[in-house]
Amino acid sequence: MISLLSHVISGALTGLLFALISMGFIIIYRSARVFNFAQGEVLVAGGFLLWSFTQYFGLPVWLSLVLAIASSLVLGLLIERIVLRPLVGEELFALVMVTIGLLVFIRGLVLVIWGAEIHFVPPVFSLKGVKLGPLMLDRGLVYGGGLTIAMAALFSWFFNHTRMGMEMTAVAEDHQIALSLGLRVKRSIAAAWAISGVLCTLAAIIFVGGKGMTFLVGDIGMAALPVALLAGLESIGGLILAGLVVGVSMGVAEFFLDPIFEGGVAGVFPFAIMIIVLLIRPSGMFGWKTIERI
Amino acid sequence: MTLAAGVHFETYDHDQALIQTRPQWYWLIAFMIFLFTIPLFGGGKVLGFMNVVWITVIAVVGLQINVGYAGQINLGQSAFMGVGAYAAGALTFHFNLPIWITISGAGVSAALFGAVFGVAAVRVKGFYLALTTIAAQYVFSFAMLKLPKEWFGETEGLRLDPVSLLGFEFNTDVRMYYLFAIIGVLMIYGAWGLVRSRTGRAFVATRDNDNAADIIGIDVFYYKALAFFIGAFYAGVAGALWAYYVRYVMADMFTLWLSVWYLGMLIVGGMGSILGAIIGTVVIRLIQEFITYFGPWVTEFEIFSGVGGGVIFASMNMLLGGVIILFVIFEPRGLVHRWNIIKESYRIWPFPH
Repeated sequence: MISLLSHVISGALTGLLFALISMGFIIIYRSARVFNFAQGEVLVAGGFLLWSFTQYFGLPVWLSLVLAIASSLVLGLLIERIVLRPLVGEELFALVMVTIGLLVFIRGLVLVIWGAEIHFVPPVFSLKGVKLGPLMLDRGLVYGGGLTIAMAALFSWFFNHTRMGMEMTAVAEDHQIALSLGLRVKRSIAAAWAISGVLCTLAAIIFVGGKGMTFLVGDIGMAALPVALLAGLESIGGLILAGLVVGVSMGVAEFFLDPIFEGGVAGVFPFAIMIIVLLIRPSGMFGWKTIERI
Repeated sequence: MTLAAGVHFETYDHDQALIQTRPQWYWLIAFMIFLFTIPLFGGGKVLGFMNVVWITVIAVVGLQINVGYAGQINLGQSAFMGVGAYAAGALTFHFNLPIWITISGAGVSAALFGAVFGVAAVRVKGFYLALTTIAAQYVFSFAMLKLPKEWFGETEGLRLDPVSLLGFEFNTDVRMYYLFAIIGVLMIYGAWGLVRSRTGRAFVATRDNDNAADIIGIDVFYYKALAFFIGAFYAGVAGALWAYYVRYVMADMFTLWLSVWYLGMLIVGGMGSILGAIIGTVVIRLIQEFITYFGPWVTEFEIFSGVGGGVIFASMNMLLGGVIILFVIFEPRGLVHRWNIIKESYRIWPFPH
C-alpha cells in the first residue's frame, strides 16, 4: 500500500514537471500557433548553460541561475527572430518541419559544444529527500511541483488580466485580425518565445539539478507532449490537472503493469494516453474548439 | 510544362504517356543500363553506398506519397520500416519462406500498422497528426522489446542467414545490389503511376483542402487511410530489404531520428514530386558519406587538431537541422524545382522565357 502511494505521489510530481515543460509549448502555441518540437532541446541547452556558468566559469550558483535564465531568454528570442519570423503565415507543414529541423540542429550544437559525456550539474537546493509520513520524496521534484503551480497561476493571471497577456491571446486567435486591430503581433510572438525559453531553463534546474546530464535529457520534451495535449493546447490552468492525471496514471500503471512487462511501462504510458486523447477528444480537456471553413 | 519546339501530340494516349518523346526513351534506357552496370565498374564502397541509397529511396518515395502528395505529416516512417524489417525477419527466421512472400508480407504488415494511424489522421490534422505518428514510434519500440522472446528476440533482435531465391543466394553486395535495383525500379515506377492516377489526384485534392475534397465527393476517410497504407507499404518493403542487407534486425535501428532524416531528404529534394524524393535521398546520402569520409581527414590539420571525431558526427546533426531550416525558409520547393527550371530553360533555349 505504501509502495503504491509512493508511486502515485512521485508520479504526480513527475506529472507536474511535465506540466512545467508543457507550459512552454502552450505559451508558444497560444500566440504563434507553432508547436515547438525543439522544446526539450532548449531545456538541455538551459541545463548545460547552468553547468557552464557554475563549473566552467566557476560562478556562484545564484549568479549562474540568473545568467542561465537570461541566456535562455535570449536563445528563445534568437530562435524566433532567425527561424520563425520568416515563416509567419506559411503553411503548417513548413512550421512543423522547421521546429523539427531546429530540434536536430540544437541537439547537434549541444553535442559540438558540450560533447556526449555526462556533466554533473551542481544541486541548486539540498539533495536530502523530503519526508512525508512514511514516504521519502525527491526534494527537487517537490519544489518543482510547487514552482509549476505558482507559474501556472502567474501565467493564467497574466493571460487573462494583463494588457500584454490579452494581446497575446488575441494574436493567437488570428494573426491577420490582430494585426488589423493594431496589436503588435511580432512583439507578442517574440515575448512568447522568450517566456518559453525561461520556463525550459526552470524545468532544467528542477530536473537535472544535482544530477549528471547528457544531451539525452532532451527526450523529456517528447514525454511532456501528452500533458500538453490532454490539457488542450491553449489552457494553462488545465495543465496542472492534466499533469496530475498523466503523472498519477503513469505511477499506477508502473505499479501494476511493470511486473507484467518487466519494466519500461512508464516510458511508453504517456504516449498511450496521448493516442487515446487524440482519438477521443483531439482538443483536449480545455482546448479551444475551432470550426473549419473552406 | 513547356515542351521543346516541334513536339506535339496527336492522340490522348500520347499526351498522357509517362515517356513522351524518343529522346526521353534514349535517356531512360541509357540511365537504366548505367544503373544495372554500376557493380561492374563501381568498387565496394560505391556499391555499399548505392545499396543503402536504394533502400532509402524506397522508404522516402513512400513517405513522399504519404506526406508530399496526400499531405499527411508522418514522423513514423522509420517505425513502419521497423515493422517491415521485423516481419520479414520473423517470417524468414521461423518459417524460412521464400523472399517474394516475406518482402510482400513485410510490406503488407507495415501497411496495416500504418493504416491504423491513417485512421487517426481522419480525426486529427497538422501538429496533432505529427504527435500521433511520434507515438507510433514509441509504441513500436516498446512492443518489439516486450513481445515474447521467441517471436522477435527482445533486445537481442533477430540474426538472419543470407536469403536466396530459386537457389540463387544473395550473399554478396553485388547480388544484393541487383535485388535492390529490381525492386527499387519497380516500386518507383509504381509510385510514378500511382500519383498520376485517379488515386493520386484524390491525394492531392485531400492535401490541398480536405473539407473541399469531401464536398466534391472524395472519400477523405478512405484516401487518408490509403495514403498511410501505401506510404507504410513502401517503408515495410524498404525495412525488409534492410533486414536482408544487414542480416540483423533490432528495434534500436529504427529511431525517430531516422524518420527525421527521411523528412529532411523530402524537404531538400522537393515536396510533391517522386523525382524530388530521389534527388533528396541521393544528395543527403552523398553529404553524409562526404562527412564520414572527410571528417577524420579534417582533424589531421593543425588548426582543427582540437576537434575530436565525435564532433564531426555531431556536426552531421547540425548539418541536417541547418539544411532543413534553410530549405524550409529559402527554397520550400526543393532541389527538384531548380532542376525543373534548368530543364525548362534548356528546352526553350535560346528564348529567355
